[in-house]
This record gives sequence, C-alpha cells and structure tokens, in this order.
Amino acid sequence: MAVLRSWKSHSVLPGFGLALGFTILYLSLIVLIPLSATFIKTAELGWGEFWTAVTTPRALASYRLSFGAAAIGALLNTGFGLLTAWVLVRYTFPGKRLVDALVDLPFALPTAVAGIALTAIYAPNGWLGQWLEPLGVKVAFTPLGVVIALTFIGLPFVVRTVQPVLEDLEAEVEEAAACLGASRWQTFAQVLMPALWPALITGFALAFARAVGEYGSVIFIAGNMPLISEISPLLIITKLEQYDYAGATAIAVVMLVISFALLLLINGLQWWISRRHGKRNP
Amino acid sequence: MSIEVRNINKRFGNFTALNNISLDLPSGELTALLGPSGCGKTTLLRIIAGLEQPDGGNVLFHGKDATGSHVRERKVGFVFQHYALFRHMTVFENVAFGLRVRPRQERPSEAEIRRKVHELLELVQLDWIADRYPAQLSGGQRQRIALARALAVEPQVLLLDEPFGALDAKVRKDLRRWLRRLHDELHITSVFVTHDQEEALEVADRVVVLNKGGIEQVGTPDEVYDQPATPFVYQFLGNVNLFHSRVHDGFAKIGELEVAVDGHEDTQNAAALAYVRPHDIEIHRTPENGSTFAATVVHIHAIGPIVRLELARADATEYVEAELTRERFRELALKEGEEIFVKPRSLRVFIDPNPAVA
Repeated sequence: MAVLRSWKSHSVLPGFGLALGFTILYLSLIVLIPLSATFIKTAELGWGEFWTAVTTPRALASYRLSFGAAAIGALLNTGFGLLTAWVLVRYTFPGKRLVDALVDLPFALPTAVAGIALTAIYAPNGWLGQWLEPLGVKVAFTPLGVVIALTFIGLPFVVRTVQPVLEDLEAEVEEAAACLGASRWQTFAQVLMPALWPALITGFALAFARAVGEYGSVIFIAGNMPLISEISPLLIITKLEQYDYAGATAIAVVMLVISFALLLLINGLQWWISRRHGKRNP
Repeated sequence: MSIEVRNINKRFGNFTALNNISLDLPSGELTALLGPSGCGKTTLLRIIAGLEQPDGGNVLFHGKDATGSHVRERKVGFVFQHYALFRHMTVFENVAFGLRVRPRQERPSEAEIRRKVHELLELVQLDWIADRYPAQLSGGQRQRIALARALAVEPQVLLLDEPFGALDAKVRKDLRRWLRRLHDELHITSVFVTHDQEEALEVADRVVVLNKGGIEQVGTPDEVYDQPATPFVYQFLGNVNLFHSRVHDGFAKIGELEVAVDGHEDTQNAAALAYVRPHDIEIHRTPENGSTFAATVVHIHAIGPIVRLELARADATEYVEAELTRERFRELALKEGEEIFVKPRSLRVFIDPNPAVA
C-alpha cells in the first residue's frame, strides 16, 4: 500500500488509476484474450505432438520464407523509405503532394487487390514479367514474388516514421557542420543519421511486423508451393480447412513467439541507441 | 584577417534585405552589426560566412575574393543564436567534430585532438563537463561550448549571430563581458549581430548601425552614441526626446528656444526634427533668454541614483523626458505641477525628410 501510494503521488496528472485500469482492460479484450486463446487451444496437443506439428519440413520452410521475406522487404523499405522521406522533405517539385499521398496507398488498398495487380504485372506474360522472363528472372509464383508483395505493403511505414523527424531537424545543425569543414557526406553520416536511427528502426519494426502478418497480397503472387513459396499464415489456413485446429494454432503460437521476441529485440536496440545518443535525462 | 564587403545586394522575393552594402572590417577588431529585427544584419553575417549567396557584390577575405567559395573553404567560425550543437554527441565530441572531419592527411592524431579540445574547454571554463550531452547543459554553457567548437578549427574570422539572444538578462551580461575578454586574448577578427544597443556599445570596438537593408552609421561606440549621423541612429541608441521644429535662416525654434543649425543658413521655413537625450537636459527655475523653453512637471520618478522627470511643454502638446542627478533634484526641490524652464545642453537638428502635411 505504501509503495502504491509513493509512486502514485509522483504524478501531478490526475486520473492515473482510471487511465491505467482502462488501458489494461482494453488491451486484455482486444489483444491478450484472443491471443491467449491460441495458446489454450494449442495446449490440447501434448508437448511431443506440438513439437512434431511445428517442425515438419513444410512448416520450417514456411517460417523461413515468412520471416526471411519479411526481413528483406522491411530492409528494402528502410533504404528506399529513407530516400522517399528525404525527397519529400528536402525538395520541392511539381506533384509533390500527389507523391506524398501516393505513399499511403498501400495502406488503403485491399491487400487482395494489391496481390492480383502485382501478379498480373509480374506473371510471365505480364507487363514487367515478359521482359524479366528472358533474363531468367522469375518473380510471380516464387519467393522473390513474396518479397515484392511484402515490400509493397510495408512501404508507408518507414516513410511516415522518418518524415516528421527529418522535418524537425534544424537546418542550423547542418550549417554548423559545414562551417566546421564537414563534407555533405560527413554531415549526413555523422550529424543527420544519428538523429534518424531511432525513427528508421521504428519504421523497420513496423514494416517487418506488418509483413510477417501479411496474407492477402502474398497468396496471389506466391503460387503457394509447399516447401518453396508457401508462407506460414497460408499453412495455418490450410490446416484450418482440414479441421486441424490445434495444428493451426500451434503454428500460430510459434509465429507469435518469434514475432514477439524479434519486436522485443528491436525495441531494445532502439532504446540502446537513443540512450547512447544522449536523449536521456541527467 | 580583414574582411571587405563590396556592394552587396540581397533580395528575398519582393523584400530587399540588403541594399548595396559596402563595409570594411579591419583585422583583429570586434565589430557589432546593430539594428532592429528585419534590418538585414543576420543576412549580411550569413553572406560573409558563405551560408547565403548575395544577388550581387563581393565579399573579400584579406583582399581575396571569397564570394564564390563554399562555407567549408572560408575558415569561418560561426556561432548560432540557438547554439546548433550536435545533440547526440558529448561536449567533447562536439568540440572535436571540426578536427575529426578533416581529410586524413591533415587530421591531427587522437592525442593531439584530445589535448586541443581540453585546451579549448579550459578556455571557455567548461573542462569539467566534457562528458555531458548538450541537453544536460544550461543555455549559457551551451553557447560557450558552441564557441569552443567554432574556435577548434582555428578560424580566421569569428561570426556570431545574436549569440546571447536566447539567454536571460543576467547570463547575457556575464557572457558578453566574458566574450570581450576572450577577444582581447585571441584578437581574432570577429563580427557579432545584435539588436541590443547596450550589448553593442559595451562589447564592440566598432558598431555598424543598420536599418532597412542599409548602413546608417559606422563608428566607435562613443561616436555612434555621441554623434549620431541620422535621426534613426539617435532614436535607436538610447532614450531620446524628439521635438518637431522648423528651421529658418540657420536657426531652429522650439518654443522660446533658438538654436543655430550649421549648414542651413539659407534654409527657409523647413520642417525639422530636433533630438536631445534625457541626461542632456538642464532644469532651471528662471528663464534664460533664447536658450530655454517653459514646461510643467507632470511626473517624478525618484527611484535609484537618477531622478526621471516627465515634463509637458507649455506651448505644444509634446512631452519631454529629463534625467537629473539626485543632488540637482534636491537643489531644485521640484514638485509635480510646478512650472520650470528646460535648457537642452546639446541638441541635434535634422531636416525632416518627409514632413507631415501641416
């Protein structure tokens, strides 16, 4: 009780108890209860059965593809998202607002539409596919197609997290660096990037998390060949269709645990970087 | 190193920031660019630094044209009003930055950098906070670090843009004295921008008064204060009383008072403005023929060593501010509402360039 009172009294803002209580209730209803249901359902399997279900070659291949393609997609988005944000913040050009709005489209589009559109373009007889085919590059119905779909849906995250940070950077800091003799590249690498890292990592984490959970756009372009281009969410659906509910939730649990661990790791990295870069209080 | 500014013009859209400015800044001097906000002083400083390009004209460093050269090559130290420190670097790394970004051949060794940075931090008396981050420092400390950082690259010129503008009054005063002492030690050609006349007069060797993109006067603090070249300089530097007057046959009349105005012997009945500082006003009980005018004491502020009087002219609706020493005030034994006679010790008369239609 004494402990409770002591850290409650630290805050001058009223309503701490109410706000925290509501937050926990809300998170429980929306996140914790549905997620714990997957664990409870999975518990129907014994430990051995669970292990066999989640380590079949088909399941292992699907994890590799899901997390691998999501990571590659998120990395691509980190690089190009930074570039897009840079162009949108630093330059003025005709149609800038249009480009700015375009960035959000992958959010708004139903993912199935995106998947069909991408497939139509990258199929061997599609607009881009017909030129790539003679070069020996197959996109549709291969893991490469999965990467492209996941890159597409993750685009807005890095742009939208980096953009406001970039806008807030004072031009004076760059001028100061130039006065001290730093080249453009040195200013970018040593003055701008340290300020952008936390936002870049947040953007990467969001894009990655979104890509791991993506289903709609991928199933059209992936071809869904077991062991080659089948993602874990699809494997879950397949198991559900076969009335193997416990097997489906088992794979869901594995995905949950891996995702949670990775996000925790990324958050930790971000905390470490922002601490190193002096945002801490004395 | 001397700086010469030749016929600089700069426009922002329809706004003329600098109108044909020419200025010589001799080597080793501390010059203040003084003026109200929007007068172009910061733009001029940024053009000297190379952070801004002029539309026309040249900037010469030590006689060599530097107009086209990049800010990196000019070897200027620039101190910003809001410090512009690198937030993610410690104080030490901030100061070391200019040394670390040098090309590999010219870069000093790590030990040399360390020695140099500590030397600079000692110079700004902040050696003990080398490991802190800018967010952990007070405003005054941040500005001193910004100065140490600018000095690290051994600039030929030090440019300061409202360096004390963001600090509170007490710190401001300390820091400007400290800057003066630092300049006396280092003798580096320095230019600082300010809108605070007290600051400019106290710190600078020379003051350049700017208004509306043009130079009003260049001179030592004494010169610009005691012999203002234009009505603007008179009004901008310190308190001043303004009388509307007329100049006729070489004399300006203010009530009973007549003053000779040099160079206007043939001027006929021209509108003029006469300026006198409050401390250049004498108060008398009796009129002196032709050198006083009558007024009533409206208000007395008798706080501190100086007694401030507010006077109303008897023959016009103008108010006059006068400052007396406490002794003189006691001698006169003034009360509010009494009639007295005002005698300006020194009065400057300017012909009004755009007289109001009477």
